[in-house]
Amino acid sequence: MPGPTVTWYLAVSVVLFATGVLGVLLRRSPLIVLLSLEIMLNGANLALIAFSRYQGRGDGQIFALSVMAVAASEVVVGLGLIVALARRKVALDVDKLTTLRG
Amino acid sequence: MITTSAWVCLLSPLVACLAIALAGNRISRRGSGYLATGAVALSFAAAVVAFVGLLGEQPDERSHLSTAWTWLGGGSYHSGLSVLVDPLSVFMMLVVSGVGSLIVAYSLGYMDGDDEERRFFAYMALFVFSMLLLVQGGNLLLLLAGWGMVGLSSYLLIGFNQRRPQAIAAAKKAFVMNAFGDATMVLALFLLVQHTGTLDFAATFERAQGLASNHWVVNLVALGLLGGAVAKSAQLPLQTWLPDAMEGPTPVSALIHAATMVTAGVYLIVRAHPLFELAPTVEDLAAGLGAATILLAGLIALVQTDVKRVIAYSTMSQIGYMFLGAGLGSYANGMFHLLTHAFFKALLFLAAGLVIHALAGEQDMRRMGGLRRLMPRTWLAFLVGALALVGVPPFSGFFSKDSILAAALDHGTYGYVLWAAGLGGALLTGLYTFRMLFLVFGGEPSPFVREHHHAHEGKEGPLSMTATVAVLAVLATVGGWIQLAGVWTPVSDWLFPVAEPLVEATGRQEAISSVLAVGLGLLGAAIAWWIYAARRGRVPRLRAVRTLLERKFYFDEAYDLVFYWPAAAISRAWGSLVEGPLVGGAGAGLGQATRGAGRLTARAQTGLLRSYALAIAASLAVLAVVFISVR
Repeated sequence: MPGPTVTWYLAVSVVLFATGVLGVLLRRSPLIVLLSLEIMLNGANLALIAFSRYQGRGDGQIFALSVMAVAASEVVVGLGLIVALARRKVALDVDKLTTLRG
Repeated sequence: MITTSAWVCLLSPLVACLAIALAGNRISRRGSGYLATGAVALSFAAAVVAFVGLLGEQPDERSHLSTAWTWLGGGSYHSGLSVLVDPLSVFMMLVVSGVGSLIVAYSLGYMDGDDEERRFFAYMALFVFSMLLLVQGGNLLLLLAGWGMVGLSSYLLIGFNQRRPQAIAAAKKAFVMNAFGDATMVLALFLLVQHTGTLDFAATFERAQGLASNHWVVNLVALGLLGGAVAKSAQLPLQTWLPDAMEGPTPVSALIHAATMVTAGVYLIVRAHPLFELAPTVEDLAAGLGAATILLAGLIALVQTDVKRVIAYSTMSQIGYMFLGAGLGSYANGMFHLLTHAFFKALLFLAAGLVIHALAGEQDMRRMGGLRRLMPRTWLAFLVGALALVGVPPFSGFFSKDSILAAALDHGTYGYVLWAAGLGGALLTGLYTFRMLFLVFGGEPSPFVREHHHAHEGKEGPLSMTATVAVLAVLATVGGWIQLAGVWTPVSDWLFPVAEPLVEATGRQEAISSVLAVGLGLLGAAIAWWIYAARRGRVPRLRAVRTLLERKFYFDEAYDLVFYWPAAAISRAWGSLVEGPLVGGAGAGLGQATRGAGRLTARAQTGLLRSYALAIAASLAVLAVVFISVR
């Protein structure tokens, strides 16, 4: 049974990616920013897999797997940083974390 | 046997120098002095062994070259680390190590109590090694190495008193002047290598014969070597460093700046005489420079007030005689005068050192006087030295100086001019020597002397000092008896295989020169007595002449004007016009620009995470649009 065409998958992927971008740009909590980043990555993953199926080759799926691995390690680091910030009682607001200003 | 003792002679001072330098506090100050004295005395003993060994051989077989290993090699050029033992080098070895060991022994007493005795004795041993390397080196390259090293040790010893700015300045002046001579010598050696392919004495002299006499190459080589000789021996026009070098301790003045190092120029001319003989013009120039220095230095010595400086100018003047002899081709007479001069000039310096020591370091003759009664034996030694210097028979200077003058008579018209200059020098020698003697020892003790002379009962200095002065006084008396021109000539015969003389004075010329020179010397002494002892005459009031002499014929000023000021001005101009803006400015500008750019870009770094993200997203969007639309 033929499913939806690749266009639909790409549309969902774009929606996911845009949601992520908006989350990163608009939200101020680092936790949510991190979460939005994950959504962006998953949007990209969806596009990769969709193209992989469309072309009938496995490369895209392998890319998606490595993106997942990177995302997992990124979450570990990011969450670790956020926990460290919270434990030092720093305000969890990306607009206030400007110590590295030039 | 002969070469072994030559190596022992060469290396023993080096070992002593290294031992003192490396032992540091582990040997006492005295111990370092004993070590240095012992090492130089061992050198002397080894030199005597080599001398006796050579005596036992046929005159034309007395030449041994011993090569330790190939020192430098490149292409077809090889230079060995070798010593040459022949009559000339043994002669110099005996003078250097013999007079050297006496003077190092004298330093035991003179330097006693100095904070840095060890450094002093290490430098002294280094000097003796360098000087022996100079005279023993088996090729011109080793000679040059020794040449440079005596310059270095002379620099170190002149500036021994590091807290005296004048001593440092004098050391630098001596070094720079000598470096100038070294440079001309190096250029001469380059030419020699280019045209003969070697620097070994025998081979290079032989191959140089292939070049025509007066060929420009030979002339340039001889001129370059003469430049080195003139600088090292403080002859015109590079003489100005020697009087300043009197800033060094008195034993240093005696050893380096009277007896040995400054006579190295004479040795060089005699050693390289085959080259000089190919360039007669340069030979005449050497003799002329010597004659000019005799008169100039003698005149300046007349107005000096520092006792050591008078002796220094006298040294220049006497080396002028040696240059005169060597330049005329009367090599043995030049070397003989070198020997007797080493005795009596070391004696004069060391006796002056006794006076300076007794007067707590005072060197100004105007504050001395009347020391004859307080230091009778020093007076006697000084008198012996003065008589030998003036050339009064039977003291040693008589035998050596007059033969040089006689040789000048055998050299045509030019020789007569040189002869007259030498005779004028004899008059001046008598005058300044006895002026010094009467100022220091004559008359009543001055207030300064009475105040400062420590009344050692019957003692005029430590044993090591008085004993060496006594030995030198004996040598200055009898040292000349080993040769009397025309009658008894062991020195000339000894040196004949190495340096065959070009001129041979007749008995009549010898007699005329001797009578005139002795007469003029005594006349000078009599004038000095008339003015400075009897006080019946006065020094003529010639203000202009006096100023001219006191400013040493304005040589220092002239060199400042011609060399120093232009060089300094050019340097300053380059510094402010080129180096400042171009080199410094470029660096500073680069730094400034980088910092400015950094400050500008730093402003973009707000630290706001969301603005970074927006920038990335926006640029990505733009890129995406560009890619899609361009395609």
